[in-house]
Amino acid sequence: MRISTNTLYQAGFAKLSDLQSNQSKLQQQIATGRRILSPSDDPIASARALEVSHEKNVNNSFADTRKVAQLKLNTLEANLTSVTNLLVATQSSLVAAGNGALSNAERKIIGTELQGSLEALIGLANTKDAAGNFIYSGFKSDTAAFTATPTGATYNGDAQQQLLQVDPQRQMSVNVTGDTLFLNGSNVFSTLKDIVTLLNTPITDATTQANFTSGLSSAIGKLQGSVDNVLNVRTAIGTKLNELDALDVAGTDRDLQYSQSLSDLQDLDYTAALTDLAKQQTIIEAAQKSFVTTTSLSLFDYMR
Amino acid sequence: MATSNILSIGKTALNAAQVGISTTGHNIANASTAGYSRQVVVQSAASSQNFGYGYVGQGTEVSSVTRVYNDLLARQAINSQSVSAGLETYAANMSSIDNMLSDASAGLSPTLNDFFASVKALSANPNDPSTRQTMLSNAQSLVNRFHSTNSRLDEIREGINTQLSSSVGLVNTYAKQLSSLNDTIDKAISATGNQPNDLLDQRDQLVTELSKLIKTTVVPQGQGGYNVFIGNGLPLVVGTTSYNLTTASSPTDPSRLEVAYHSNNKTSILSTESLPGGSIGGLLQFRSESLDAIQNKIGQIAVSIAGTFNAQHAQGTDKNGNPGGNLFTIAAPIVNSNSNNTGSAVISSQVVDASAVTSSDYRLQYDGANYKITRLADQSVQTFASLPQTVDGLSFTQASGTINANDDFVIRPTLNAGNTLALAFSDVNKLAVGGPVLSSSANAGNTGSANLSALSVNSSYAASPLASPLTFTYTSGIPGTFAMAPSALPVTVTNGGSSTTYPPGAPITYTSGATISVGSLSFALSGTPANGDEFTVAPSASTGPSDNRNGLLLANLETKGNVQAIGSTTKNSYNAAFAQMVSGVGNKTRELKVTSAAEAQVLEQANTAMQSESGVNLDEEAANLLRYQQAYQAAGKMMQIASQLFDVLLNIR
Repeated sequence: MRISTNTLYQAGFAKLSDLQSNQSKLQQQIATGRRILSPSDDPIASARALEVSHEKNVNNSFADTRKVAQLKLNTLEANLTSVTNLLVATQSSLVAAGNGALSNAERKIIGTELQGSLEALIGLANTKDAAGNFIYSGFKSDTAAFTATPTGATYNGDAQQQLLQVDPQRQMSVNVTGDTLFLNGSNVFSTLKDIVTLLNTPITDATTQANFTSGLSSAIGKLQGSVDNVLNVRTAIGTKLNELDALDVAGTDRDLQYSQSLSDLQDLDYTAALTDLAKQQTIIEAAQKSFVTTTSLSLFDYMR
Repeated sequence: MATSNILSIGKTALNAAQVGISTTGHNIANASTAGYSRQVVVQSAASSQNFGYGYVGQGTEVSSVTRVYNDLLARQAINSQSVSAGLETYAANMSSIDNMLSDASAGLSPTLNDFFASVKALSANPNDPSTRQTMLSNAQSLVNRFHSTNSRLDEIREGINTQLSSSVGLVNTYAKQLSSLNDTIDKAISATGNQPNDLLDQRDQLVTELSKLIKTTVVPQGQGGYNVFIGNGLPLVVGTTSYNLTTASSPTDPSRLEVAYHSNNKTSILSTESLPGGSIGGLLQFRSESLDAIQNKIGQIAVSIAGTFNAQHAQGTDKNGNPGGNLFTIAAPIVNSNSNNTGSAVISSQVVDASAVTSSDYRLQYDGANYKITRLADQSVQTFASLPQTVDGLSFTQASGTINANDDFVIRPTLNAGNTLALAFSDVNKLAVGGPVLSSSANAGNTGSANLSALSVNSSYAASPLASPLTFTYTSGIPGTFAMAPSALPVTVTNGGSSTTYPPGAPITYTSGATISVGSLSFALSGTPANGDEFTVAPSASTGPSDNRNGLLLANLETKGNVQAIGSTTKNSYNAAFAQMVSGVGNKTRELKVTSAAEAQVLEQANTAMQSESGVNLDEEAANLLRYQQAYQAAGKMMQIASQLFDVLLNIR
């Protein structure tokens, strides 16, 4: 076939240009570590990568929510430990108060001590978390849960449960409202207040003695009920914390899987890429040499 | 027969060799001139003379200098040229979108992820001002990302307008040059009877350049004239007359330039289908096939986010205990009435269900009796006898004026939505993370089995919230009816597709399961109520700052199907809709890269074939130079011999 001189140059140049653009793309892939430089390189994988990285983000945001849940439950747990200790100490005081050898004055001292416990318990019930929210007021977290009254304390919060989405399928309640904790069955504040009144009432005769004995035994019973209630709530919180740990483990596993899939979808196989680069290098050099050789052949060189 | 005859034979040989050398020189000089066809000398023996004993040759003569040119190959090259230029332009424009989406941090996806992460953080810490601020800031970033994506696409759109204008100008220039070359060539041929090779090359080169811009067909006419047709057969040059292309605004979209044809003082817009090939065809095809669809899809996600978020946000209460209004604002669908409409009707369109809005544009046409609404993406048509109507979550209403037969309107619900999306407020306390604004209850003394459900409000509820409870009392009968107290507002009952509005105070016919709307709130009653049963809808007592119920529901929107794909029964999440768009862009770009490379290969082969015939080969010319040089030397030698022969005669004494 007849070849025009133009074709000779154009074809050689076009081939070199193609080779160079291939090489430049390889170089870019190696520099970024990414197999897919734009969606058109692999449309399916790039859409899949968007979806996987979305899933990964969603999974991570649940992990963040779980941290909030853990913090809230741990704050509750710490506070409830204090509440339990206080109630258990109160129980011992009550047992001590039942000692028949005590004088009216000595009972009054215990009464004063228990008045202090009552105030301490109201203080604990009005605990705020690190963000300044009252932890036992339900949604009304800007309102103190209890205010002291002559007969104990009244609840100012609501009965609402704050739910957190700790997993795609799991909403977990992360608060305990004051009414379920302190007013469930019997009102622990009233119980304490009643005891204080009882201890402050001198025993002067058989009737007052009988009143004291029955009042004390009923108070011990009610208080035990309150302690049991608090312990039940603590058990529930412990169970939730365990569940959160389990969800965290599952979440971390999923995160690893997502990272792995993302890497499979997007990342470059360096061995293959570097081998390719070396191969391209050889081809370019050969093409350059042959281009120079073929174009330097000219009959004019021999015309003297 | 005389020695003078030998001399004159020498002269013809010398002359022919000279023409050969200058033609070879011309070929060498133009070896790299675009569109140049090599020229060859056609030489023939001069007619011989009879001397009685036989014919004696009279030397040689140059009969013509012709160019080596193959019409068939040229036509193939021109066809391939315009197909290739069209694909290349399409591919280049598509690549710019492909590249825009290539960066994982540049698309919508990362800002969507951040936004929802902050919505979730907000629902976990509803009372924390900094978490509220983060959520609003991330919402603003999301809005900004929509703006920047959309404005990049707008830039591309404006670039198309500019390129169309300049390409049309170029086509017109070529048309004028072609018509004047037709004239010059015609005159040259008439005057000399010879082909003006270099002018022919120039004209063919102009046709090649023209075919890069637009599909070009050449029909030869008369003695060497060219009639040139563009697109699907529009005459551009006929003999020495040229016609003009121009650009004109689309009748249904003033910001969109279309290519138009100008003849007999009339300008008519050419459809994209009638202008295939060439960079003009590539641009038009890219715009109508891909750019519009991509920009619509971005806008569709914006419409869906704005609509679905606002609807959910309105259900909740904000930190001040007020009903949440809109979180986002977004412009209503663009309605362009055709500039050729004869009626005065103004059509308006609103999004009524954001999750049903598709990425298509719509055309509303009136034929004198019926309204035809066409979904342009798949050409599906619905016909109605009256307006207003709702199609694909969009309302179509005649706002004012009178409509005439053949009036048409184009409705673009999503095209510019990415640009008009904005945050409705910047006060963090207005984020409605708290629980529902309304509560419903059935009277404890009810004896029937009916119950009230699906209580919700729309986003205008915040502007006029319910001040006191509404009570609905049932009276049995045929049909059973409801009375609302207080009865200040009309009540609309919607069942299936039809709705009935009752004026304030009128008894409301009971239909189990129908949606009952009063002002901006709605609910459903279902079951069998008994005479005297009462239901109450009341504003909720204000909740506390740790109420996160609506926050949870807002966060759940992330994975809900809220984006409607055309012709699909299931809906995509925002992120999946975006991923699908990216995959679509990637696929189309890949396809175009492949087909445009293949067509470039075809073009290269056509050009090589043409070049192999018409192109200059310098080695060949070198050989020709040697040949003509030798011919010249030989002719000279012959004349020297003739002269010596003459000397012999003169020296006879």
